[in-house]
Amino acid sequence: MKKHPLLVALCIVAAAIVLAFGPMVLPPFYVRVGQIMLYSAGLGVAWAILGGFAGYASFGHAAFIGVGAFTAGLVESQFPTLAAPLLLLLGFAAGAASCAVVSLLIAYPILRLRGTFFAIAMLGVSHVCSEVTNNVDIFQGSLGLNFPQIAPAGMDPASFFYEVYLAGATIVLLIAWQIRRSRFGAGLLSIREDEDTARMLGVPTERYKRTAFVISAVLTGMMGVIYAHSLGYITTESVYRDDTNLNLIVYSLLGGMGTLFGPVIGAGLLVFVTQVILARLLDFHLFATGLLLVLLILVAPGGLSGLLKRRKTAA
Amino acid sequence: MSILSVHGLSKNFRGLAAIQNVSFTIEPRSITSIIGPNGAGKSTLFNLITGYLPPTAGEIQFKGKRITGMATNRIAELGVARAFQIAKPFRDLTVFENVRIGALFGKAGPRDVDATTRRGLELAAMADLADRPASELTVGQLRHLEVARAIATRADLLLADEPCAGLNPTETAAMIDVLRQIRASGITVVLVEHDMPSVMEVSDRLLVLDAGAMIADGPPAVVSKDPRVIAAYLGTPDA
Repeated sequence: MKKHPLLVALCIVAAAIVLAFGPMVLPPFYVRVGQIMLYSAGLGVAWAILGGFAGYASFGHAAFIGVGAFTAGLVESQFPTLAAPLLLLLGFAAGAASCAVVSLLIAYPILRLRGTFFAIAMLGVSHVCSEVTNNVDIFQGSLGLNFPQIAPAGMDPASFFYEVYLAGATIVLLIAWQIRRSRFGAGLLSIREDEDTARMLGVPTERYKRTAFVISAVLTGMMGVIYAHSLGYITTESVYRDDTNLNLIVYSLLGGMGTLFGPVIGAGLLVFVTQVILARLLDFHLFATGLLLVLLILVAPGGLSGLLKRRKTAA
Repeated sequence: MSILSVHGLSKNFRGLAAIQNVSFTIEPRSITSIIGPNGAGKSTLFNLITGYLPPTAGEIQFKGKRITGMATNRIAELGVARAFQIAKPFRDLTVFENVRIGALFGKAGPRDVDATTRRGLELAAMADLADRPASELTVGQLRHLEVARAIATRADLLLADEPCAGLNPTETAAMIDVLRQIRASGITVVLVEHDMPSVMEVSDRLLVLDAGAMIADGPPAVVSKDPRVIAAYLGTPDA
């Protein structure tokens, strides 16, 4: 039963094309839900390149959303006359570069920590970035940053950002798919399974972890840049969010840790539950997420894909 | 030329001298067993050779190249592999996928990954278990998996840490057979082993460590009659 290697990529692209018609048929509310789903899925997959594939579960990836978003905003504000598409590209470049620099700077010390220690240290990084953005004047974190409207004239901004999120999430997913099937991906997998053994087998564990960390951070930052533009105005609180830190873990746990589509399924499901089913109970979101997490660990520690796999082997 | 040469190697853990001024060379295509009582420093020696621990003093050369202080994965890229005493399989993967990681990495240079994987499985007599999840293997099978994965790295030197410990006589015989096959394929084997009958049967040469120092070196039949070796294992009669 050997699947053609390109089949998965074709499925991803086909699904993306179908989803691209979403805003034409969906009522406005669901376009916004779709935006959040795609944003979350993109973040979830970017997180999983490090957390799922290599087993380094970060509890602070919102740091890169914030760093990416604020750098993009500050750089873009220097070029007020630039055309919208160029401005967005500039924002991407600035956000990606800043996330690459920050992640490279902290990679060496922080990746020496394993398991819970790494997770908590990343939470610390997220909070430090948040405090710095908030309290150092040039970052304007407490004042807030405005983003120029980049949606083309005549197009509904919600539909426009839906499509941008879709493109972002698709690219992140395709990159993750390519990593997953590469030698690099196999190395990350062996690191997740047993880092000492991996090194003994010749896997350059330090370099691989660092690379996965930087890729994950850059992609997270780029999703953050889209997010900032869709909000139009950001403060420290709107990007460095601890519920995002938590949700990124939950997406993978829910859909299946270490799998390619796990975080996509998890993000879709969690966003659906919190935004649609519990739409009127905004204060319950975190409660619902927590409850779901506890149930999940108890009933299906391998996530939904783990549950399916177990079904299949039992049958 | 010897494939591995260790010169004046010492390792101290704080005050404790785990390895004291140990020197030896290993000839290619041989099976050498390092024996000694518990705590003699056998596993520490493996940890030093694979770069898992830095030595306090001394030098290690592999194929004439100094590897002392080199990162573990760099040493693996040169062609040193290790099979652990306590098997460390990648539990979420199948046997084939486990061994394939060894084939994907390991010694630097071009390779056919799938063919190398299959060769590792065959040499370690694991071919018929290829699709089994590693989590479902018995202790004996896990040892074979360790060896298969190590061989798949295309290593020239295999360090096997007690491959027969805890195995029943049938499994032990199978493992000894595998080790012979591995040597026949051109790989040099260094064993740490407690099971004396298998050591006597399979080894070309014995090195005996006691309290971190090398006390004997030679063919099994000679070393096993060495009074110092007997004393190390059984203790000296009180005067």
